[in-house]
Amino acid sequence: MNKVYDYLVIGAGPAGMAAAIEASNSGLCVLVLDQAASAGGQIYRNLGQIGGQQAKVLGPDYLSGKPLLAQFMAANCDYQSMAQLWHIEAHEQGFMVVALVRGKSITYVTSHLLLANGAMERPMAIAGWHKPGVMTAGAGQILLKTSALLPKQVVLAGSGPLLLLLAQQYRAAGVTITAFLDTTPKANYWYALPWLVAGLTTPKQLFKGLWLTLVQRIKTPYITGISHIKVLGEECVAGVSYTVAGKVYEIACNLIMLHQGLIPETQMAQLLGCAQVWSETQQCWQAQVGVAGQTSVPGLQIAGDAGTIGGAYVAQSEGRLAGMTRASSGVAALSLQKRLTILRLSLRVKQLHWARGLVDRLYRPADWLHAPTSETIVCRCEQVTAGAITAIASTGCAGVNQLKGFTRAGMGACQGRQCGLNLAYLVAHTQQRAMSEVEPLTIRPPLSPINLGQLSRRPEL
Amino acid sequence: MTDSLFSCLIKDSPQCPIVVNGVEHQVPAQLSVAAALLYLGNLAIRKHPVSGEARAPFCHMGVCFECLVSIDGQHKRRACLHQVAPHMCIDTAMVGVNL
Repeated sequence: MNKVYDYLVIGAGPAGMAAAIEASNSGLCVLVLDQAASAGGQIYRNLGQIGGQQAKVLGPDYLSGKPLLAQFMAANCDYQSMAQLWHIEAHEQGFMVVALVRGKSITYVTSHLLLANGAMERPMAIAGWHKPGVMTAGAGQILLKTSALLPKQVVLAGSGPLLLLLAQQYRAAGVTITAFLDTTPKANYWYALPWLVAGLTTPKQLFKGLWLTLVQRIKTPYITGISHIKVLGEECVAGVSYTVAGKVYEIACNLIMLHQGLIPETQMAQLLGCAQVWSETQQCWQAQVGVAGQTSVPGLQIAGDAGTIGGAYVAQSEGRLAGMTRASSGVAALSLQKRLTILRLSLRVKQLHWARGLVDRLYRPADWLHAPTSETIVCRCEQVTAGAITAIASTGCAGVNQLKGFTRAGMGACQGRQCGLNLAYLVAHTQQRAMSEVEPLTIRPPLSPINLGQLSRRPEL
Repeated sequence: MTDSLFSCLIKDSPQCPIVVNGVEHQVPAQLSVAAALLYLGNLAIRKHPVSGEARAPFCHMGVCFECLVSIDGQHKRRACLHQVAPHMCIDTAMVGVNL
């Protein structure tokens, strides 16, 4: 009989770390599984090792994660880095989580589970985005954080806070930004205007955001009102073309970084049968999550960007709440102080999500991104074009899961992470349906590829 | 291999010897395998199994599976999730192996 954990936390980002700290401080037996080599998540990636010039370039918000990371490293919980989770299911004692650790498949059992596995970048399927020389802005930032690697010159294209932050960091490091192609639709400014009220409740963040935007607009070759971006080049990127006010322009470049905001990583929650809803505001599927992380599956919590995109600070607060709630479940008489802390944190989280409404509306992806040109490869793994998908969708196929059977889109190694959302947009667009009526791709194990040798080896408990 | 589009911010990083497609190189020790390939000027590291088109690392966070390489004989490793180690043998699938 193997060890049964009281609380298994997936992901060592701000939410996962905060939850593990709270739960282990209350005496629970906690395990944290994380894919990366060191704790911090994507936002505080490599923070424990960083210093000097790299720290200076990355800036104060990144370094602000240090106390949390130190607390986590000192917490009395088990922590397994480099764990690639490939299966997760309900178990008679709670949940069973199976991960590849150093090439071996290991099974963990826990009574309660917290998914704090974070977000990924919204796939920005533009013509030619599969060519070598196209990357995501997140990739650019990860290269800077973990490898101290910088492009010599780059074109940044898309919309959202991360792209602005990357521009700021790149400028600080002396990278030449050939152009900043801002795809934020002009209409979004009007659409977001009423939400300025919400933004004003977090004045410090609002001011920081405005300043960041203003500085990039002045200090980089910043072009607004961009649409229909197309990556040019034979084998690799040779340039990029775009449209402004009906006119097509071209610039030469070898490297382009794309960004269009973040979406939650919902695969694990979906596999566990957690109810998903379409969020019109954040334009993604989300698990239905209560303020203390509770979901439709008993014993399963979700915290941080894996639930609703809110950023590092919200994620940390949600993680704390989830951990505290888990630790106090079954405790009849909670101290008044603890109750007050939970109440205060819950209110703060609700307020911050409300304030985030401004960002969600301002950086809502442009409509042209949801109807890519027919030659655009939407499913990168199986090389399926928008044209092929639209052709099948227009014959009246039932949804993305049937579409997958007809076209193989979503069947590749990334398991639909890079195409799932765009397949749904194409189906909705072609069939004139609302996104809320289109079901997401069904998720099946393995969540990440595992070879037969690893699978056939006797599982370690 | 072409001129690298990337450079390293830390000029005095400790170096690590690695072997890429049979050729030994020195790279900064903090690089991920994907970063090392970019640093060395290997942008296109994969031929797509369906179309044969060149592909390169895209997300650097383990999501996209575009950076699959062979590391020390183990096929289909995500280059972005591994850090370089002394004498690590990295083979990219521009020829031969279907990754």
